Amino acid sequence: MSDILSTPHFETALARRAAPAGLGFAVREMTDRGMIDLRGLASDRKFMTAVKGVLGTDLPKAPRSAVAWGDIKVLWLSPDQWLVLCPRARAVALAAELTAALAGIHSQVTNVSDMRTVLRLEGANLRTTLAKGTSTDLHAAEVKPGFVKRLKFAEVGALINIVEDQIFELYVFRSQADYVWDFLIAIGGSAAELHLFGKQSPA
Amino acid sequence: MSKPRRLSSGGSRIDRSSRVSFTFDGKLMSGYRGDTLAAAVMANGQRLFGRSYKYHRPRGVIGLGSEEMNALVGVGTGARHEPNARATQVELFEGLAAVSQNRFPSLSFDVGAINNTLSRLFPGGFYYKTFMWPKVFWKHIYEPVIRKAAGLGVAPEGRDPDSYEQIHVHADVVVVGGGVAGLAAAEAAAVMGARVIIADENAVLGGISDLEDGTIDGAPQAEWARAAAQKLYDAENVHVLTRATVVGHWHHNYVMIAERVGDHDPAIPKSGAPRHRLWKVRAKQVILATGALERPIAFANNDRPGIMLATAVRAMVQRYGVAPGEQGVVFTNNDDAYLTALALKEAGIAVQVVDSRARADGALPERARAAGIAISTGSVISAVKGKLGVEAVKIASYRKGQGRVVSERSAPCDFIAVSGGFNPAAHLWCHNGGKLTFDEGLQSYRPGSHADAIVAVGAAKGTMALADIMAEARAAGEAAAKVALPKAKAAKLAKLAISEDARKPLEAIWFAPATGKYNEGNKHFVDFQHDVTVADLELAQREGYESIEHTKRYTTFGMATDQGKVGNLNGLGAIAEATGKTIPEVGFTTFRPPYTPTSFGAITGSLTKKLFLPVRQTPVFDWHMMKGAVFEPVGQWRRPYTYPRDGEDKHVSIAREILNVRNNVGVLDASTLGKIEVKGPDAGAFLDRIYTNMMSTLKPGRCRYGLTLNELGFIMDDGVVVRFDDERFLVHTTSGGADRIAAWLEEWLQTEWTDYRVFVTPVTEQWAQFAVAGPRARDVIAALKPSFDVSHEALPHMSFVEGTLGALPVRVYRISFSGELSYEIATPANHGRALWDALLQAGAPHGILPYGTEALHVLRAEKGYIVVGDETDGTTTPDDVGLSGLVSKKKADFIGKRSLEQAHLKAPNRKQLVGLYTENPEEVLPDGAHAVAEVKDKPPMKTIGHVTSSYLSPTLGRSIAMALIENGRARMGDVLSFPLDGKVVRATVVDPVFYDKEGARLNV
Repeated sequence: MSDILSTPHFETALARRAAPAGLGFAVREMTDRGMIDLRGLASDRKFMTAVKGVLGTDLPKAPRSAVAWGDIKVLWLSPDQWLVLCPRARAVALAAELTAALAGIHSQVTNVSDMRTVLRLEGANLRTTLAKGTSTDLHAAEVKPGFVKRLKFAEVGALINIVEDQIFELYVFRSQADYVWDFLIAIGGSAAELHLFGKQSPA
Repeated sequence: MSKPRRLSSGGSRIDRSSRVSFTFDGKLMSGYRGDTLAAAVMANGQRLFGRSYKYHRPRGVIGLGSEEMNALVGVGTGARHEPNARATQVELFEGLAAVSQNRFPSLSFDVGAINNTLSRLFPGGFYYKTFMWPKVFWKHIYEPVIRKAAGLGVAPEGRDPDSYEQIHVHADVVVVGGGVAGLAAAEAAAVMGARVIIADENAVLGGISDLEDGTIDGAPQAEWARAAAQKLYDAENVHVLTRATVVGHWHHNYVMIAERVGDHDPAIPKSGAPRHRLWKVRAKQVILATGALERPIAFANNDRPGIMLATAVRAMVQRYGVAPGEQGVVFTNNDDAYLTALALKEAGIAVQVVDSRARADGALPERARAAGIAISTGSVISAVKGKLGVEAVKIASYRKGQGRVVSERSAPCDFIAVSGGFNPAAHLWCHNGGKLTFDEGLQSYRPGSHADAIVAVGAAKGTMALADIMAEARAAGEAAAKVALPKAKAAKLAKLAISEDARKPLEAIWFAPATGKYNEGNKHFVDFQHDVTVADLELAQREGYESIEHTKRYTTFGMATDQGKVGNLNGLGAIAEATGKTIPEVGFTTFRPPYTPTSFGAITGSLTKKLFLPVRQTPVFDWHMMKGAVFEPVGQWRRPYTYPRDGEDKHVSIAREILNVRNNVGVLDASTLGKIEVKGPDAGAFLDRIYTNMMSTLKPGRCRYGLTLNELGFIMDDGVVVRFDDERFLVHTTSGGADRIAAWLEEWLQTEWTDYRVFVTPVTEQWAQFAVAGPRARDVIAALKPSFDVSHEALPHMSFVEGTLGALPVRVYRISFSGELSYEIATPANHGRALWDALLQAGAPHGILPYGTEALHVLRAEKGYIVVGDETDGTTTPDDVGLSGLVSKKKADFIGKRSLEQAHLKAPNRKQLVGLYTENPEEVLPDGAHAVAEVKDKPPMKTIGHVTSSYLSPTLGRSIAMALIENGRARMGDVLSFPLDGKVVRATVVDPVFYDKEGARLNV
């Protein structure tokens, strides 16, 4: 028990899962991600200035976009909601800094680092493979690095962020991480891999 | 009677160097790679494929592809068996095992065929007329017998071993059908840069170009099709799908395509690829190039094996090198079928033509004449000799509209190729409300107007001449690309030089007069799949089924898997003739998706087994699993119901868990509890409107239980509200209500109270939360090095503190749902397992044990605490459950306040929450048992209320129950009667708080 009480033991949702062989992409859980849910009014100059003072970057105002600055990244969630990403170790302090800077300004800062599971997917054919789980058109022109969207994935709510052309991050609620993991394995087998459009050979 | 056979040469689709062996009804047969099952079985000398649905008449192949309605077979064995496959679509592979359907005991001798002899007893609407009385026979006698006699195929045995999947795809243009029209449209759209999906249900693109006579740029049109298909395969912006049937079209051009990925090669699904894949496509533009379906002619006994559509006969000869027999008759009302006569002649098979038209002088008939083929114009087939096949026909003279045979002669033959014209395949056009218009030239319906961005081209639109088809298809492809991509530049495609023999008009024939008495052994089939004859349709008209939709249901014409493909128009024509109406006056029936039967596997996709329903797991779910917990669903969560040990019965483990909370200490995984943070200068005022009681007066660091009502004044949810500081609150909701309440709060803020400066953020998943309950609870917390004072004075009932337990950050709420000293401890979810383990370890000396939701429920019932959804049912007010004290009288307003003033919510005799003690303390009333005003021998009895919760309380050593009873609070001490099966249970009305009424155990 002394051990339990002296170090803050930490176990993410998928700590006991490993990706099987034969997947058409790589997948791993990003356990080092700190997440802060930030609410405020983009129209409130004081709010925007105070946030920039802490984060070093303006909040993205364009729907479905993201900005990055140093080890911080901010995902647009809605006109008055953002998800601030930072190293997990920094989340508590950063949330406190934001809260302090926003004192007296209508806003809400909530550390939600444990609320979601982040799955990092890497592969050349992700847009097509993930289309087995979502009706969002991942081949659309706007789906480029920086793109953020909340969507229905398989049977649950999720958030997708295009990190690089072949690296996507899928955010799902922690309680559903196991379900999404199983779904990715079910649709992701190389044998079921599908290449959309492009040159084909007649069957 | 001769048999069909493989010709010594020919067959564009087959590879004669590659033999394939397969079985049909257990008989070992051999075919070639490229064969369909239909072709291969016929090449083995067999015409008979199955028995019909109602009369059990012998049936053979009739069609070319998916429109086949006779030769339905079962493919595969055991769990991989699939019934009702069309033999004309089943591609042959080594080891294929197929069986015929609907025959008993064997295909060539079927006892059910007596139904045919007795067919006067089985008229149209037979089911409705015969199986009416007595009602008790419906389920146990009539239905099983009918199902056995009439069924189509059998279900597979066992669980499907294959996998399935779905995919969502977005495209600029979806082209349905890969015949020449589809290929031309796809090419025209693709060269402009549009993302095009072209889907065809067959294995090979090109449609029936290989069976047609027109040439493009001096070469057979099939060569152009091959080259065009290759261009599409090579294009970067085109996706070609074969073996993929567009099964439905819905609003906004949502198109569903069922792709049979692995049916033709069992190695594919075994490799891990899905057997079927369902494509859910959102298309900006849809081009229907589905072609046309040949229709038969209704003549006497036109269902005999060996009678096929003319194009199907042509395909047998030209694609598969199969002769349907030695001596054929082509029976037609149009020029196109002469191509079949010419093909037969060229293959060395004897053939003559019977043409119902008075004159046959088009280019194709002239070619046939020149080839020495005998043509009888103004003639019909009036009789067919033979049962399991065709032995001879009678040819009668005929003038349009003639109903009787005047003169006839016999002609030997062993197969018949029939063509009554072509119907545009407009099924998909109609799925989403497209209108049809009647085309006098085709004597058929063709696409008219449509509200969606969809067009039909080629034969699907009723355009039959090759030059017109190509021009129309290219224009449609270009137009679709232009609309989908407004900036696309037009791209000129090379002009095509097209030549084709012109066709003379057909002459509609809906009924060919027959030798002998009409319908006495002379059945003119319209819908082969359902054994519907012209006589059945006429009878339905005589019986008053004037609406075509009523006739369809009464006779089963055009229903089920056929969806009006082959027989539809002939039926409409027959009805028109019988009633003296025109076909447009008769109307047409509804075409519904799917166009062809679609597997349940494709419809379900990968969402089977554990993926069927998302199960939400708390941070200590693995621990519960490891400890063998019995789970219960709560919303999508799975919560431990109880933790039986060492083979304990559930009742034993639940009682143990309860007593351990009362006597020692228990720990409960309460992580599923809904948690919403509410923050802002107006947060207090906002919550005052959300809850019935006052929340703005709550002091920081304190907790308050509250009720939320809907606008109707009925209890919607409940939970504890915590105030962190001036502007920050935490709202707890029920486990199942978390998402709903979060959305409810947002809705009021966003749509009604937009002036409130409040933000809400759901945080349910951020926290693992455990209840530590029991007299020793404080000792357990104290053992975990709390950074805060846990004394009763510092942390009294309904208070809150934030700090650490050892190294773990925690929020501690001293709240209780058990009536015991109790703390709910929250820690960030990823520390959940560590906290859980620490609590168990620290609690071990104090006898800590985990308890499940059933113990939780009994504990709260002993205290008379309500559960929303048990004690409330959506029509329950706070006063009904004795919580009027929680309804503020001071507040100006809150949701539901106005409704609570309604007379019927204040009326006397409302059901009120009471406790019940059964006379026999061992007797546990069932949930939902009704108390009655007066016990009678049998229902109906007037009910005065019902049991909402009922348990055996180990704490009290007897049963307890809660109930909503009319005017219940005035009935204290009354004995109520609950009639159950075979007995009446009597129970005394008591206060619903059964245990520790003073709350002494809470305040320690």
